[in-house]
Amino acid sequence: MRILVVGGGTAGTIVANNLARRLSAETRSGKVRLTMLSASDRHMYQPGLLYVAFGQMTPDQLYRDQASLLEASIDFHVDPVKQFQLDQNKVVTESGKVHEYDILVIATGSRMVPEETPGLNEGAEFFYTEASAVKMYKRLREFQGGRVAVAVGVPHKCPIAPVEVMFALHDFFKARGIRDKVQLKYYYPIGRIHTIENVAIWAKPEFDRLGIEYETLFNIKEVDAKNKILKSEEGIDVEYDLLVVIPQHRGMEVIERDNLGQGGWIPTNRYSLTMNGHDNVYVVGDTTNLPVSKTGSAAHFQAEVISENIASIIKVGEPVRDYDGKVYCFIEAGHDRATYAMFNYLNPPDLKPPSKPMHWFKVAYNQMYWTSVRGLL
Amino acid sequence: MTTQTETPPTTTVNNDDLQRLVEFAQLVTSAQDAMSDDIVTRLARVMNEGVTLLDRLTRNEGLMTLLRVLDQPESQRLLIGLAEALRETSRDIATTPPAKGSLIELLRAVFHPGTQEGIRILTFLGQHLNHSLREQHRRGS
Amino acid sequence: MSETKIIDARDTFCPGPLMELIMYMKQAKVGDELELLSTDKGSAADIPEWIKKVGHDMVSIEKIEETWHLKVRKAK
Repeated sequence: MRILVVGGGTAGTIVANNLARRLSAETRSGKVRLTMLSASDRHMYQPGLLYVAFGQMTPDQLYRDQASLLEASIDFHVDPVKQFQLDQNKVVTESGKVHEYDILVIATGSRMVPEETPGLNEGAEFFYTEASAVKMYKRLREFQGGRVAVAVGVPHKCPIAPVEVMFALHDFFKARGIRDKVQLKYYYPIGRIHTIENVAIWAKPEFDRLGIEYETLFNIKEVDAKNKILKSEEGIDVEYDLLVVIPQHRGMEVIERDNLGQGGWIPTNRYSLTMNGHDNVYVVGDTTNLPVSKTGSAAHFQAEVISENIASIIKVGEPVRDYDGKVYCFIEAGHDRATYAMFNYLNPPDLKPPSKPMHWFKVAYNQMYWTSVRGLL
Repeated sequence: MTTQTETPPTTTVNNDDLQRLVEFAQLVTSAQDAMSDDIVTRLARVMNEGVTLLDRLTRNEGLMTLLRVLDQPESQRLLIGLAEALRETSRDIATTPPAKGSLIELLRAVFHPGTQEGIRILTFLGQHLNHSLREQHRRGS
Repeated sequence: MSETKIIDARDTFCPGPLMELIMYMKQAKVGDELELLSTDKGSAADIPEWIKKVGHDMVSIEKIEETWHLKVRKAK
């Protein structure tokens, strides 16, 4: 039984490690072979990028050696997939190797694509990659005052990032003593300031209290980087001195190239997490087309379900669990306080007032993450 | 005849208890004030590395077997014996003049009861170790 | 005449029905019709609002049992 995991991010690593633990006897006897393919030899803790953008973490702290996180029984190769041949149950890698599988887990994730919006790369700051986060920190440090605009593209991973970045900007400029010289304005695509209703209800008075302005129903169309004007589909022009954007995302190129899913989002069953039309292919994390938050926590909970099901299929022939849509997201609310949003397909999130202990839980989780991708938490 | 009505027992809040509650709350507040992101980060890192290490150790079959065997009384005796032997040996070596390296001294060593005891204990160890290795191989681990 | 694409956003809170619609509208071609399924009653108000503001066409809104069916057409 050959199990192939494609993608070494949060979802892929948890699936592989969980399977290695659950199927330790089978891997030892050779009944099951576990292989992982990744584009990188390093594993990045993506939530840390927001800290890097504000100078609270250095880039090296974002990474660990991927091999060091994996169980010994996993055959790991830094050799990304070049082509998926699902009808033949095999993949071809960049190096030309062919990997045949009995069960495939696609965990290739998502990436920001600011280049799809005219002028965005030239005019805006981002924090969704190491390079852009470092660049943003430098711009924030040298910024002396003026209009800061924060705008959001659709879809994007980490739905809570827009709100968190506003609080972080407020705290940052306040600490620098120039908050009164900075106008902070937030632009969001739908008719309220956040897609999660309870977050919008909670955040609005917070924004008011901190002097953060906001405008809703604002969908980014293009940026005139030379004149520093952000333009919306609704016909609004916004002049800015510093523009921070959470850009729209796509799945990985290979997913689109091989026609696995439009936009790189693979059609997936929302309960079994199998790919539509392919019962031996599981899809997990950002690359699904599920109307579920693209977050590490969703990836984690989905990965748990998938690894439990694959293991039980191997041991008893049947899956045992469904994914219930569970997501759990920390929300850093500024001033060393945090809250969280937890929800699933049936229960909406119910926000508690932010507290210091919750902030420390998030700080502790920044370390606990490494233990959780090992399959220990 | 007088009727005596018993007054019900009064429940009073004990001032001592209130004082303790207040002090406890103050303790929590001061701990919260003292905490910093760095402290939490360091604590969490150590704890998580500890969890990872423990997990690796507890899943190490050889190590766990060794621990189980070391728990047994015979092993305790061996370990204690080994510890005492080490102590006596270091004393003896320190007070024995260095070997001259002659054939006569070698012959004397061969006939020394300590040498024969040493060879005997090594013989037992070698026999049991080899047997265990062959058994494990036969069982296919 | 292209098929109507159905977007099943029932029982979801994040990103939520309107965000899903925005995403699929980007992938669609001008003239394409999309049908969004939602169990969130707010969708019946905020989706027409967004459609109007951006300049697309609101084809129909129907509630069948507990689900809203919102049909929209990409106009530009």
